[in-house]
Amino acid sequence: MTTTHRPLDTRRLLDNTRRILATTQTGRTDWIGPVCMIILSITGLFFIYSAQYYSVGNLWTRQLMWLFIGGSVYAVVSRVDYKIFLENALWFYLGALVLLFAVLAFGTTREGATRWLSFGPFTFQPSEGAKVGVLIMTASMLARSELSTVRESAKVVGKVFFVMALPMVLILLQPDLGSTLIIPPMVLALLYVSKLSRRFFLVLFAGVFAGVALLAVDLYRYAHFLDERGLTALEARGQFQEVSFLPYFRDYQRERIMTFVAPEVIDPRGTGSAWNAIQAQQAVGTGGLMGKGWREGLQARLGYLPRSVAHNDFIFAVLAEEKGFIGGVFVIGLFAIMLANGIRIAASARDRFGMLLCMGVTVILFLHVFINIGMSIGITPITGLPLPFVSYGGSFILSCCILQGIVQSVNRHRREFQ
Amino acid sequence: MKAAVFQSWRLILIGFAGCAAFGAIFWQLGQLHLVRGPALAASAEDARRSLVPLEARRGDIRDSRGVLLAGTRPHVVVGIDPAFFRDDDLPKLPELARILGLDTNEVKRAATTRYRSEGGRPIRWVRLGQVDDATYDAALALRVRGFYGTRGFERHYPAESLAAQILGFINREGVAVMGVEQQMDFYLRGQPGWRISESDGRRRELAAFRVREAPPVEGFNVVLTIDSVVQSMVEAEIRALAETFSPDGISIIVTEARSGAVLAMANYPTFDPNRFWEFPLENQRNRAVTDSLEPGSTFKIVPVAAALEERLISPETLIHCSLPVVQYAGRSVRLPSDVRELGEIPLTTVVARSSNRGAAMIGMMLGSRRLHDYSALFGFGSRTNWPLGGEIPGRLHPVERWDGLTISRLPAGYAVSATPLQIHMATATLANGGLRPQPYLLSRVVDRTGANIMHFEPRAPVRVVSEETARTMADLLAKVVSPEGTARRAALPGMRVAGKTGTSRKIIDGRYSRTDHFASFTGFFPAEAPEFVITVIVDNPRSSGVGFGGVVAAPAFRNIAEGLVRYFAIEAPRPERELARFP
Repeated sequence: MTTTHRPLDTRRLLDNTRRILATTQTGRTDWIGPVCMIILSITGLFFIYSAQYYSVGNLWTRQLMWLFIGGSVYAVVSRVDYKIFLENALWFYLGALVLLFAVLAFGTTREGATRWLSFGPFTFQPSEGAKVGVLIMTASMLARSELSTVRESAKVVGKVFFVMALPMVLILLQPDLGSTLIIPPMVLALLYVSKLSRRFFLVLFAGVFAGVALLAVDLYRYAHFLDERGLTALEARGQFQEVSFLPYFRDYQRERIMTFVAPEVIDPRGTGSAWNAIQAQQAVGTGGLMGKGWREGLQARLGYLPRSVAHNDFIFAVLAEEKGFIGGVFVIGLFAIMLANGIRIAASARDRFGMLLCMGVTVILFLHVFINIGMSIGITPITGLPLPFVSYGGSFILSCCILQGIVQSVNRHRREFQ
Repeated sequence: MKAAVFQSWRLILIGFAGCAAFGAIFWQLGQLHLVRGPALAASAEDARRSLVPLEARRGDIRDSRGVLLAGTRPHVVVGIDPAFFRDDDLPKLPELARILGLDTNEVKRAATTRYRSEGGRPIRWVRLGQVDDATYDAALALRVRGFYGTRGFERHYPAESLAAQILGFINREGVAVMGVEQQMDFYLRGQPGWRISESDGRRRELAAFRVREAPPVEGFNVVLTIDSVVQSMVEAEIRALAETFSPDGISIIVTEARSGAVLAMANYPTFDPNRFWEFPLENQRNRAVTDSLEPGSTFKIVPVAAALEERLISPETLIHCSLPVVQYAGRSVRLPSDVRELGEIPLTTVVARSSNRGAAMIGMMLGSRRLHDYSALFGFGSRTNWPLGGEIPGRLHPVERWDGLTISRLPAGYAVSATPLQIHMATATLANGGLRPQPYLLSRVVDRTGANIMHFEPRAPVRVVSEETARTMADLLAKVVSPEGTARRAALPGMRVAGKTGTSRKIIDGRYSRTDHFASFTGFFPAEAPEFVITVIVDNPRSSGVGFGGVVAAPAFRNIAEGLVRYFAIEAPRPERELARFP
C-alpha cells in the first residue's frame, strides 16, 4: 500500500500488480462478480454513447474514466482485509457524515437540490458515501451485539435506528428522496438476517401497513381535493400540503406516487408528471423481441425520453428499445447472477460481520436494479435511482465499486481463520 | 457454519422475495416487449408524426410606380440554449455579440445562466434578438454550440407611416386588419403549404424524417393608384399643418380629375404599421371615409350648380343678400347671416365671397325637392364606393323629414353631414365635366414576375350636371381663388385654380360651438382643363384668430398643388387652345 505514495517507482508498481495477480491465482478470488461488472460496464458505455448520439454528448468518455478509477478502487478494496471496516466502522461512518454536512454547507445546487460537492472539474455526491458508511456501521453494530432477548434487541434496534436516521435526515435536507429510500430496506435486511426476534418484524410490518393505509387515505383526499377545485396537479402544487394531516410530505411527492398508482387521475394528457414513465414504457415497448439496433432507438434520440435522464435514470429504457427483450433479459440476467453470487459469498463468509456486509451490498444492488428497471417498465414509481454499472454517474460508479470490492474482500479472506 | 450465521427459513424467504421481484420484472418486460409492443410503437409514432404548416410568403403592396409600400422579408429569431452551450465556446462569444449587434456581457450571461433564479428550473432557450439571413449565416459560421434560430416571415412597411391607413397592417396573430391588407387579403396571402413530418420530444421538426410535402404558393402583389411621391408630399403638408394649428384631425385627398384615381389620401393623427401597438387605436382610422362633418360652404357648389343646370340663374344674375327674413312656401324663413352685409350682388360674387344668404336664396329658388335630389346626385347621403370598406354614407335627410329651417341651412352646408371623400368627390364632379367619378384605388393584381393577374378599371362615373354647367362652375370657383375671393391664398402663379373654402362650426353637445369648427378647402386645377382635385379638411385648427378655411386649408392646398405642378410638369393651358376649343 505504501508504494502508491511513490508514483514514479514503476518497478514497485509492477511488483504490486503482480502480487494482485498472484492472489487471484490462488483460486480465492471470485471471478463471477467482476466479470458481470465488466460486461455491465461495457454495455453501459455503449448505451450512454447511444443515448447521447443525437445530442452530441460525450459523457461516455467521462464514464470510461470513472470506470477506470472505480476499477482501481475495487482492486484496492478487494485486497484489504475487511476486518479494518469492523475496527474502524465509526470513522467511516463519521467521514460519511462530515461529507454530508459539507454538501449542505458548500454544495452545488442544480434543479433546486443541493446534492453535489465540486472538486474542480469533478463533482461528488456524498449521499453515495453515506450508503457505504451506514452499511459498515450497521453491520459492525449488529455483528458485535447479542440479540438473544427482546430487551437487548430493542436496545440494538434503537441504536441502529439512530445510526440510520442521522444521515437520512441530512440527505432529505438536500433533498434527495431516491437515495434515502435505499437505506431503510438495507438496514431492515441486515436486521432480518441477524437473529432478531420474529415479533419485532411482526410489529414492524404492522407499522408499515398502518403507514401505507394513512398514505392511501391522504392520497385519496388529495385526488378529491384536485377534482373538487378542477385543478391540475401542477396548478395545485403546494396547496394540498398546507391542509394535509401528514407533515413533511410534499405535493410533488404525492404527484409521483399518484403517477404510479393512478396516472390517469393526476396527468390525464400524459404530458406532465407521467411523461417520463409513459415515454420510457413506449421506448421499451417499441423494442420488440430483438430491438431496433444500437443507436437506432428513436425515443432517446429524439428527446422523447428527456435528454437529461436518458443516459442515467432511464438507460435501461434506451437499452430495451435498441436491444429488445433479448437485451433486457441479458442485462437483468447478469444482475441476477451478481445478486445470487452476493448471497453465496454472504453464506460462505467467515464471520457474521462479513455475512452482514455481503447481505447489505446485495440488498443495495437489488434495490437499485429493481427500482430502476421497474420504473422504466412501469412497475415501480419514478425515483432518481440509477442502474449500477450501466447508468452514467461518477460517484455512483465509485460507490458500487467500493461495495463490490467489499464483497470480494469478504470472499478472499473467508478461509484464513478456518 | 451456515446454520450459525444463516437461519435457513429466512434465507428461503429472501430467495423467494428476490425471485418474485425478478419474476415481476421479467413478466412486465415480456408484456411490454412482446405483447403491448406493437400498440406502444404505434402510439410513439403517432406522437412523432405531425403536420407542419408551411407559411406562404405574403405578396407586396406597391404604388403606381412600383415603389414598395408593404413587403415581406424573411427573418430569423435567434437565441441560445444554455444546456447545450459549452464553455470551450466562451472565446467565440464576443465575436457572436459583435455580429448580432449585442452587448458581449449580455450574450455571455444568456449562454451561461443554466437555471432560473426562482425554482432552479433549467433554462431551455434564451431569445437574443431578430436578425436577417446574412447575419444569421455569419453567426452560425462561428459554430457556437447551443446557438440557433427559427426562420419566419415578417411583414414590413419600408416607408413606415406612409399611407398607413390605406395599407392597413397584419396583427400579431397574422390576421390582416384593415385597408388594402384586409380587402386584398385573398390575393396577398397566397396559399400555405404543409408537410407531414416527424418532430422530436420538444416538438422541433426533424428534416431528415419528412414524408410528404406540398410547397406553399406565394401571394400576388397588389398595385395601387397611390403615388408615393404625392403621398409623402401630402403627409409632409399634414405634419406642417398639425404643427402650426394643433388640430384634432386632418384629412387630405388628392385624385386625378378624370379617372378618380386616388394619388394620395392621408390623415392626422396616423400610425406606423410596423409598430401599430404603440399608437392609440383611433389613429388607425382613415378619417377621410370613416368620419363625417357638416361640410359648410364647400357644399354651396351643389345649389349653385343645380340652379345653373336648371337655368334658374346665370353668373350675372343679381342675388339679394341683405334680407334677414324671407317668405318661402307660405312661411317666414329666417336666413343665416353673413360675416359682412353684401347687399345685392351677382352670382359670381355670391360664390367668391361665400354668402350664406345668397346660397339660401338660390336654394329656395330650387325648392326642397330639387335641392335634395341634386345633393343626392352629387353623392351626399350615400357611399362613394370607397374600395377598402369602413366607409360611412353621411346623412342627407329625405325632404319629408326636413324642418322649417332646412331649406335655408342646407344650401350653406348645414343640416347635412358628409365624409371628406364625399366632399372631395362632389368637387371632382365639376372637375370632370359634370360626371361624378368613383374613387379608384386598386389598380392591378400581378404575380411575382409582374404579369397581370387582374386589372381593375375605374368605375363608370355618374352624370350630375352638363359639361357646360361644369365649365361655368369652374369659372365661378376660379373667382374664389382670386384677390376678391375667400381663397386668395390658394392661388398658383401662372395657373387658374378653382376651389371653394368652407368653415363649419362643430356641433358639440347638440349646439353649434362658437370656438370649435372645421376649416376646409376643396378645389382643382388648372381651372380650364382640370388635372388634379385636392381636398383639405382640418378639424378644429387652433390659431390666434378664427381658422377660416381660406386661412388654414387654402395654403395647404396651394403647397400641394405647387408640388404636383413641379412633379408632373404641368403647364397652364395656352389661350390658343382655349380658342381652338370654341371656334
